[in-house]
Amino acid sequence: MAKIGVFTCWCGENIARNVDVQAVSEAISKLPGVACSENYKYMCSEPGQTLIADKIKELGLTGVVVASCSPHMHLKTFRKTVELAGVNPYLVEMANIREQCSWVHNDKPVATAKAIELIGMAVAKVRRNAALEPIKVPVTKRALVIGAGVAGIQAALDLAAGGVEVILVEREPSVGGKMAGLSETFPTLDCSQCILTPRMVEVGQHPNIKLMTYSEVEKVDGYVGNFKVTVRKKARYVDITKCTGCGSCWNACPKKGKIPNSFDYGLGNRGAIYIPFPQAVPARPTIDADNCIRIQNMAKGKELCGICSKQCAAQAINFHDQDELVEFDVGAIVVATGYKLYSIGKEQENPNIKGYGEYGYGKYKDVVDSLQFERIISASGPTGGEPKRPSDGATPKTIVFIQCTGSRDNAKGITYCSKICCMYTAKHTMLFKHKVHDGTAHVFYMDIRSGGKMYDEFVRRAIEQDGAQYHRGRVSKIEKVTVDGQTKYRCYGADTLAGTPCVVDADMVVLACAMVPSTGVKSLAQKLSVGYNEYGFLSESHPKLRPVETNAAGVFVCGACQGPKDIPETVAQASAAAGKALIMLSQPFLTREPEIATVDEKLCAACGACVKACPYKAISIEEIRDRKGNLVKMTSRVNPGLCMGCGTCVAVCPSKSVDLIGFTDDQVYAQIESLLD
Amino acid sequence: MENELRNAIRELFANQGVGVAIGYGRVGVDGAVGAVFVTSPDDVDQLVWNNECRQNLAVHLTRPEVKALGKIAIVCKPCDARAVVVLANEAQIKREDLVVVGVVCEGIRNVKPDGSTSDKDYPKCETCVQHVPANVDVVIGETSKGEALDAKNAEVATTAGHQAKLAKLRAMSAEERFQYWRDEFSRCVRCYACRQSCPLCYCNRCVADKNRPARIDTSASLKGNFAWNILRAFHLAGRCVGCGACASACPAGIELDLLNLTLANAAKEHFGFVAGTEVGAAPLIGTYDRDDKEEFIR
Repeated sequence: MAKIGVFTCWCGENIARNVDVQAVSEAISKLPGVACSENYKYMCSEPGQTLIADKIKELGLTGVVVASCSPHMHLKTFRKTVELAGVNPYLVEMANIREQCSWVHNDKPVATAKAIELIGMAVAKVRRNAALEPIKVPVTKRALVIGAGVAGIQAALDLAAGGVEVILVEREPSVGGKMAGLSETFPTLDCSQCILTPRMVEVGQHPNIKLMTYSEVEKVDGYVGNFKVTVRKKARYVDITKCTGCGSCWNACPKKGKIPNSFDYGLGNRGAIYIPFPQAVPARPTIDADNCIRIQNMAKGKELCGICSKQCAAQAINFHDQDELVEFDVGAIVVATGYKLYSIGKEQENPNIKGYGEYGYGKYKDVVDSLQFERIISASGPTGGEPKRPSDGATPKTIVFIQCTGSRDNAKGITYCSKICCMYTAKHTMLFKHKVHDGTAHVFYMDIRSGGKMYDEFVRRAIEQDGAQYHRGRVSKIEKVTVDGQTKYRCYGADTLAGTPCVVDADMVVLACAMVPSTGVKSLAQKLSVGYNEYGFLSESHPKLRPVETNAAGVFVCGACQGPKDIPETVAQASAAAGKALIMLSQPFLTREPEIATVDEKLCAACGACVKACPYKAISIEEIRDRKGNLVKMTSRVNPGLCMGCGTCVAVCPSKSVDLIGFTDDQVYAQIESLLD
Repeated sequence: MENELRNAIRELFANQGVGVAIGYGRVGVDGAVGAVFVTSPDDVDQLVWNNECRQNLAVHLTRPEVKALGKIAIVCKPCDARAVVVLANEAQIKREDLVVVGVVCEGIRNVKPDGSTSDKDYPKCETCVQHVPANVDVVIGETSKGEALDAKNAEVATTAGHQAKLAKLRAMSAEERFQYWRDEFSRCVRCYACRQSCPLCYCNRCVADKNRPARIDTSASLKGNFAWNILRAFHLAGRCVGCGACASACPAGIELDLLNLTLANAAKEHFGFVAGTEVGAAPLIGTYDRDDKEEFIR
């Protein structure tokens, strides 16, 4: 005999304003099986929970319905309450009479009637609830960090310091990411490489970190605590365990200085065998097969060049190197794939985004993006830190900086603010002024967004002490002109504060482009079952309360792959992600909700519809054999470790031989029928 | 052609270790054509082939008592052979354990109300374009009426036939169409002959026979009849091969084949999918794909 207790919450006046809670309580008390129907101002408060616990003990309730807010808010609270009172926590149902009733209706009698129906449905369901036990799964105490920019480095170091083995995968030949290429950092103007390289060295040497550069994540199977990851080690043609990093090879390469170096965004050159920058970790070269004379001719059966190999005393070069697939078991995954700059030219990956043809990027060599400018003023850059413009090497005296190139521009398709451009543009103007004392920096901006510790002071310093000329307005067009025999870039802008057009003849133009997620992030997200927004930024589980978790259990995000961020924020988030992963990996086993699919193997026809529909590859076709080993029948079977309880299999099963525990057809039909009575 | 068929089956018994041949024979009291299960080469002469062979014999392939008879050889019309492809794609049979003897078919004759054979084609054969069986092991007979319907030419070939048959339904307004099906379904007596005759209704226990919870009304009321017939059509969406066995079996004469054809036509129009023409094809409905064009599935 069911003894259901129903506890209706006022939620202050959130519910009580539009729902007559007293009338609801009385109506519900008449339903069959309802042993008590109470109401209270705040059911989630301690007195509210005590009321529930007392009624359980007093009446020996067999099921509890709490009519209040969304189960997302308080289901855990009430499960705990009844568990402490001695009832299985899965015998609680919540009827959402706040978000789905009082908040969306303003006619009190109608809302009251609806609340009664919603609670009636929950009562019908809870009568059919079964006592369930959480599923326990083991945990592999190893973590995968994807991306070794500052976010990935920080996360890996924190995880390693926490005693967890870390596999750090980076697709470039060196760790360091975007930060390794920056000149100085705001708001302190400390050298980016000087603060990053010690960390880079540390990840290279840490006993708990297995560093895999020039590698990419190929495949991810499994589930939280028990992922199976396949990493593709791309052919590097150099055995980094033999190589000593002496440099004989890259200095001898006949292509030295002939191939644009992507680390310098094409401003500097390298050879076919190269290290991207002197502080690279590992400080071991890579052969760019597309440009290597030897490898390109091998297919034709010719043995050309090979000079690097002859120079190599360690015999570390292997022209026949192949990609290698390596498998790992890991318990947690931290994604730190970072960003790239939005492409200013006409070609776009995303058809909804448009470029800025009118700025002449790609056509005029002296129109550069902000990461290129970082290299131009960086001591390790192609000009050795001397500000020289790319076209003729002349020292620019006037530079125009255009903020919000792409960002916050609905017409071009990117609506968001890239957050860091105001700050780094102010930094650029200062660094330029510090190097070219008679130079002038002009900045075209929409708004100055400099929230942060010492950030606004930094921008004021650029304007007040270093004389940057800020014009509030956009540039409509850039034209190459010749003034007194000199090449200039005429920027047609506006100064909306003065209400006048503002035309500046610049020696060089720097575009502060929007940040977008790095290439390939969507396919990675799909491998990990992590959501992403229309731009490809990965989705966190909750924007405020679960900022580094994702909806894929065991997968965490940090840094600019989740949204535009500066270095301090990225590092903080990386530590947070590492912390969350450590919490998970420190458990002896993980508990998973028992609300998963289950197959009635007697009735299953093994048609395989569920197998093909399952997004988590949690279902397989298995044989049932008798004791003598004879095949009785085939059936589909759910792996409880993999099932996420989405219910897709239930929907596609023609004979309804699969059911979702906790949301069985029996329960759902009972709910629907309670409405029809 | 009948002799050619019998010789081929004898050959299979002799050389391929076949345990049972499922074919057509005169098994009814009045000599009506139905399924025969030949288990010995001596009985092969029971087999017939003529324009009265309406049933889709593939329905017997999933029955455990038939499977127990050993390796199966089965006589299939071109439409029936497509059902075999679907059954194999859905892992209900192992295709390699089966010999499919395809017979060239130029159409099956209708049955008059008194049970005698009409000189008109059976309705589903009127617009049929598949006369040569595809994906079979042996082909018996010849025709000048076109090629086998395989994955390559299925889409083009079936279009005209579909359009002609659906023209009647399409000419109706939504209200008229609803009224039409209301009238049709009101005659349903819930005998489930459609289900029993359909090779693709192979569930161990049909959802209509499950009562906890009762997902559809099992009484022969209009509501229950709608629920049953629509549910069956949905379960056959993207699977039905259009053999017409259901309509042929229906004692109330409901045009069930039209209902299924509507969905088959939708499958073709929107996804270029023709059931049972491609060996190894993933099911049209309910396949999870990371590259699904629906952006909301991620």
